[in-house]
Amino acid sequence: MMEVCGSSNVTLREFGCEQSLLSRPDGSASFVQGDTSVMAGVYGPAEVKVSKEIYDRATLEVLIQPKVGLPSVRERSQEQCVRETCEAALQLSLHPRSSLTLILQLLHDDGSLLSCYLNAACMALMDAGLPMNCLFCGVTCAINKEGEIITDPTAAQEKESRALMTFAIDSTERRVMMSSTKGSFSVHEMQRCIAVSQKASEKIFQFYRDSVRRRYSKTL
Amino acid sequence: MAAGFKTAEPLEYHRSFLKENCRPDGRELFDFRTTTLNIGSISTADGSALVKMGNTTIICGIKAELANPTVEAPDKGYIVPNVDLPPLCSSRFRPGPPGEQAQAASQFIADVIESSEVIKTEDLCIERGKLCWVLYCDMMCLDYDGNILDACIIALLAALKNTQLPEITINQETCTPEVNLEKRHGLHIHKHPVGASFCVFDHSILIVDPTAEEEVLSTAQLTVVTDEEDRLCSVHKPGGTSLSGEKLQECISRATVRQREIQKLIDKVILSVKTMH
Amino acid sequence: MKDTPLSNCERDFLLKAIEEKKRLDGRQTYDYRKIKITFGTDYGCCFVDLGKTRVMAQVSSELVAPKENRPNEGIMFFNTELSPLASPAFEQGRQSELSVKLNRQLERCLRNSKCIDTESLCVVSGEKVWQIRVDVHMLNNDGNLMDAATIAAITALCHFRRPDVSIQGEEVTVYSVEERDPIPLSIYHMPISVSFSFFQQGTYLLVDPSEREERVMDGLLMIAMNKHREICYIQSSGGIMLLKEQVMRCSKIASVKVSEITELITQALLNDKNARKAGGRGGFAESMPQERITALKMDETPVETTDVTERANDIVKKTEAPPQTVPSPVVPAPGVGQVGLGLQNTWGIEEDDDDEEEGMGEEDSGEEAGGKVAKMEVDQHKKEQQRGDVVEISDSEEEEVVILHPETPVPKNQKGSSSHQKGAATSKKKQKK
Repeated sequence: MMEVCGSSNVTLREFGCEQSLLSRPDGSASFVQGDTSVMAGVYGPAEVKVSKEIYDRATLEVLIQPKVGLPSVRERSQEQCVRETCEAALQLSLHPRSSLTLILQLLHDDGSLLSCYLNAACMALMDAGLPMNCLFCGVTCAINKEGEIITDPTAAQEKESRALMTFAIDSTERRVMMSSTKGSFSVHEMQRCIAVSQKASEKIFQFYRDSVRRRYSKTL
Repeated sequence: MAAGFKTAEPLEYHRSFLKENCRPDGRELFDFRTTTLNIGSISTADGSALVKMGNTTIICGIKAELANPTVEAPDKGYIVPNVDLPPLCSSRFRPGPPGEQAQAASQFIADVIESSEVIKTEDLCIERGKLCWVLYCDMMCLDYDGNILDACIIALLAALKNTQLPEITINQETCTPEVNLEKRHGLHIHKHPVGASFCVFDHSILIVDPTAEEEVLSTAQLTVVTDEEDRLCSVHKPGGTSLSGEKLQECISRATVRQREIQKLIDKVILSVKTMH
Repeated sequence: MKDTPLSNCERDFLLKAIEEKKRLDGRQTYDYRKIKITFGTDYGCCFVDLGKTRVMAQVSSELVAPKENRPNEGIMFFNTELSPLASPAFEQGRQSELSVKLNRQLERCLRNSKCIDTESLCVVSGEKVWQIRVDVHMLNNDGNLMDAATIAAITALCHFRRPDVSIQGEEVTVYSVEERDPIPLSIYHMPISVSFSFFQQGTYLLVDPSEREERVMDGLLMIAMNKHREICYIQSSGGIMLLKEQVMRCSKIASVKVSEITELITQALLNDKNARKAGGRGGFAESMPQERITALKMDETPVETTDVTERANDIVKKTEAPPQTVPSPVVPAPGVGQVGLGLQNTWGIEEDDDDEEEGMGEEDSGEEAGGKVAKMEVDQHKKEQQRGDVVEISDSEEEEVVILHPETPVPKNQKGSSSHQKGAATSKKKQKK
């Protein structure tokens, strides 16, 4: 098996974001990476069900809605990843005994879905104005048969790859908040993918900053 | 007094131990609990294993059934893993449909099976497009004391190695399968994936093989699965506080050692049964 | 999460405004909100914006066995998902009254009106037919979900293309999009529903009620009609009595609205078809409004990867290589093995002790000779000598006490009693054996 070597495929597809696009949720965003697209909405802090109440912090619920049919075990596992990442980023102890609900609606899946979920979630949390310790972003890396790293792969590229890794990177120290992998790979390959994701995260955080700056450019 | 301190300030209680580089149960930070493995625990299953890691106990039973392969993959059988966390194993679980943790664990095990290629699904095909094996791998937790993912993987791997499938011949005239229960053969295990789980305490201290109590108090969890060639099958960190690449590397090193320990354990136990007959 | 209740003064204000023929969003009585239809990248994916109400419909197909009483007909399946995104009052995974009602209305409007040729969906009579599944997701509820849902569903059905199939003997081959062009559904007509809300026992009437208006209305009349002015489905709910004239007037208004909306749908479908033919990129990235300051887009960006390899190598090199040798496991009995000498489990301690003794014996006989093993042996002997006063390292209670109060007499009593119990347990076990 070939080891990872440098390649020209290390690009992020064009990506876009729209915030506050829904009137009902307290914060909403849609995030597009190439053709992959996710819509996110946040409700809260609001009243919490007694059974879910936590005495020293807010209860965060993440719901992922697939396009066809009901959420399956795969969605549950993705929900867990997104929820625990958000829990680490949010300052939940500022809103004890209250509920936060984050809903992610899949609009189109063309690869790198989990990273798109994470990005949409972060934008929606920002739009809701919830206090956070840091921002986070998701980056998916695929390693293809030739051993090259492809960032932000499409569905076709994902199918062709022999390993797939999604990392959530935090904005303060650029460390790994979440990691979810598929396929087998060597330690070197993983460390290289982490390093690439950290580089890619800078572009995404810059995009976050630009879009927020643009958004508040007229309210001053 | 100490019990009171533990109940009132569980985090402080754990911190006071971690400061001294040890844990309340006497382990060092990178020590696993004693792992006990028993295979063939369920005589009625096609393969089974019981794993105990400290108090955490997982039993895995494998049931093989004949089925038709799917149209998309006519030359493949399938493996259906399921992790059950019944109310029996801990007061934190309620009766009823599986909760998020059980579902996430099932998905994780399915991912590990697929990523590590522990069994090639092509091996489960009996006749292309007509007949294949389905392996139902049920992992049930009998006592929950943290780190079920590691225990599940060991139980699954040992149970798969313990599985004996009957021989199937297809009667050419009637086109019906005939099962020869007398003649059985084992499965071909391609890889030996073994997991090592870690917890992060106070955003910086890493501990291995967390108990249920430590899991609750930790700020992040991480599971690394490696195989005998030191390749990674899964680096699963569902969120929590962030870790640097260096820290992850430490975990991976520990996981590879663990893989060798457990593979040796499984091999030896399997061998002990074989020599007995 | 509960919905925020409507206050009394807000209710009074709304009703008063309606009496004065005024609406909060500045519309006239018979005005529809602005409708925007967009399509996704997939075939059969359609978004409808009705003012702020937003609905998505996705059509999918699958080969299934037909129903027994209708072997020559395909199956239409509708699923309305009240996503919690749309309103905090909607809960996931629970069939609420509203979702059942909406689903039923959608079925009556689109299936029972026979607007889709289900016979053309038959592949092999009695064996394989297409099941067309329509998933309608409510994304934002600002009133009149029903109208938005029917527009989205019928547009998505018109937009949808199913894969081509061929039958040779008994073998059914399904062709992918690359192999053969997919086939559109045959649709006879497009039923479109128009909702009217009534206030003050039917005195006042409003077309296309918003969420606020829905909350104060007395009753609702829904008329589904196609552009040939044929009524496909009509329903009045809320328990108001309507006069014949009122229904007639509503159906007249409906016919105007329906022809407008049908025109819009046809235009949208045509635009999308042309865009696809031209090979332009469709989908969400394109439908994002660029002029809004809340939206931003970035072109494809390369990622700098010059020092990535070095960094990765650095990290891998810096960590110590794991030792190649590992301690050997202990096999006390055939089929049982143990590894690690750390914490034992806290149940069945005595039994484990026995096992360990056996195990130790084996280990001594040839496994891993070394100082450690010898030491353990000694410990073991000690243990045996002090049966009455067992020192258990793994018993957490004692450990706590040892650390914090080294000289408290309490643990001795505990020890005594616990060892008694343990002793009893062992003896019982031995009897069993």
